[in-house]
Amino acid sequence: MKREDYQFYVSGAIKLGISFGVVSLLARWVTGNTILASPETLIKYGLTGGIGYSLMGALALILFGLLAKKIRERYPDQHTIGDVLRLKLTPSGYWYMITVLLITSLDSLFVQAMGAGILIHMISPLPIFIGMLLFLSFCFFVGGVGGMQRIHQLAGINVSLIFGAVIIIPVYFFIQEGVFPVYEGIKLYHPYLLYIKNTEAIWFIFTAILIGFGQVLIDRATWQRVFIIKKEKVRMTFTLAGLIWATIPLALSSLLMIIIFGRSYENIYSLIFELIEKIQSTVLIVLFVLFCFSAISSAISAEIHATTSLFVRNVLEVFRKLTDREKWKYTYIFSGAICVFLFVIVTILTPNPLELLFFFGNIYASMIVPMFYIILSKRKLPSLIPFASLIGAIGGYLVLPFTENLLAIWLSFAISSFICLCFTFYKWFN
Amino acid sequence: MLTIEPFSIYIMICVLAPLLGAFTLLFLFIFEKRIDLLEQHTREIALERELQTALYNQLNSEIQPHFFFNTLNSILSLARLDRKTELIRSIETLSKLLKFKYQTNNSVITIEDELTYTGYYLEIQKTRFRDRLQFQITTDPNVKQAVIIPFLIQTFVENAFKHAFEKHIGDASLKIDVKKIEKEVHVTVWNNSFESQVEIPTEGGLGLENIAKRLELLFPNEYTKVDFKNSVNETTVLAIFPFVIKSDKLGG
Repeated sequence: MKREDYQFYVSGAIKLGISFGVVSLLARWVTGNTILASPETLIKYGLTGGIGYSLMGALALILFGLLAKKIRERYPDQHTIGDVLRLKLTPSGYWYMITVLLITSLDSLFVQAMGAGILIHMISPLPIFIGMLLFLSFCFFVGGVGGMQRIHQLAGINVSLIFGAVIIIPVYFFIQEGVFPVYEGIKLYHPYLLYIKNTEAIWFIFTAILIGFGQVLIDRATWQRVFIIKKEKVRMTFTLAGLIWATIPLALSSLLMIIIFGRSYENIYSLIFELIEKIQSTVLIVLFVLFCFSAISSAISAEIHATTSLFVRNVLEVFRKLTDREKWKYTYIFSGAICVFLFVIVTILTPNPLELLFFFGNIYASMIVPMFYIILSKRKLPSLIPFASLIGAIGGYLVLPFTENLLAIWLSFAISSFICLCFTFYKWFN
Repeated sequence: MLTIEPFSIYIMICVLAPLLGAFTLLFLFIFEKRIDLLEQHTREIALERELQTALYNQLNSEIQPHFFFNTLNSILSLARLDRKTELIRSIETLSKLLKFKYQTNNSVITIEDELTYTGYYLEIQKTRFRDRLQFQITTDPNVKQAVIIPFLIQTFVENAFKHAFEKHIGDASLKIDVKKIEKEVHVTVWNNSFESQVEIPTEGGLGLENIAKRLELLFPNEYTKVDFKNSVNETTVLAIFPFVIKSDKLGG
């Protein structure tokens, strides 16, 4: 394959084995969300929440691995989630799904960029917009211009930095402080963290698994990786990626305890970055900052790359056939536009990441059963199946003022599942 | 509320877990290629062994005195009748058949080669059965360069002779059909059988298990199938395996 080929941008030149596959998935899934939301779950739901967050990611990836094998077997000639949707859906269903994919992509990109914004604000002497400009330019060159090959070249470095930080920093602190003072400090300032008989946390874990699975199921970047991992290794790669991923939020939760054990806190989102103030050693500060930037930049690059591929291959190319040269041109324009959009919006807004995850949770949960239908059915599906997710999500949002967030998510899931089941029964009897 | 002991264990797990994750990843990086090579090697050895078994079965069942004497007798009668051209052709075909049989050591050959070999066999049988035997070979031109395990079609054809044609007097019809359906090759061998036929051979006795096993070894993780259908007056054997061009398979 020539470097000028657009396929080279979408899939790279090589098929990945288990080790590179795991690294690629980790680079995609250790994100700003992991850094920002895992402390938040720990604070809100205690230690059970911290474990639950790890469990959510691991189970989501492992479950998707089971499906990924089927995806590879059934769609050997496809390269993106959009290719499969186009094969299985009617035009209206297809365009609805593409819209959802683009919206969730932008949401996910926005959360990552916000994490980067907070980090730059805390560590950099530069004004935030200059820092963001540099950071997003880097992501643009990796994900937007470089393509899959460049992402994989950097994935190894990113994952090494991530593991370097999550192994060395907790060990350093717990050797320095010992476990007892940390325990005493938490008991004094944050005793609620130590309550494990927390039914709300268990409720949260199950809902988080549902959201996590939905999120992986419609993640553009993960789908692209399904098609470039060697067929016989897909399941094992996802299982190991899930198990290895779970260790990172666990390590982050131990880091968080170091930060909060002797004091209270003001802002939950910047909490993990306050570690910088706690670290005395310059080497460790550099390592921690590199870890945060690695995690966020690799996730943003992967997302920019996947969203751009989806846009060029599955939106623009549907209208007219493009030459490779045109595809490259639109890739630069679209990925550049995403970066500009992120730059503008991050400098204006600062919403709450976990709430955003749970706001989109209704969409993710309502997507699960329709996506199962899309992947596993043998025929083209009517528009009802993809639109079941829309009805489910709307149902969930409508009951939101009267009930709690988690219940609304389950309701969304139940409505879309019910519609899909009705469709199955209808087909059986006709 | 959590006491200090479980809390310490929790912290210990949190600190050690990423270490375990990193080690797993490192282990994969170092050993994945070697594990793959070992797996491939084991598969090759198994394939080789199954081929040897197939060769042994072939030699045992086919170069049996029965077949050989009948063929020689047919050739002798051609000599007595002074049908020189047919005589030369028969001896030449027998020689090619034996040569192919003894020279095939590869675990894969092309469908074209396999059909040539089966053609020799059928030509010899034609000298024996004369007008009783009618056969038809239909091949999709796309599949000729696709790979197949040696003696697959040959075994199916031999079974038709051994269990149907040689036991009864009457017309012997045989059809071989090789075609590509989507990404698979379908090989069908059909023969007529006789109502009075009492012996229904088992799949094990037909060498089909060996074929199924060899197909599985050659195409691990892909869909392969050997299907045997025996009814009152016909027998069909169908083998399905992935369509792979020989150069691709050799290239790994």
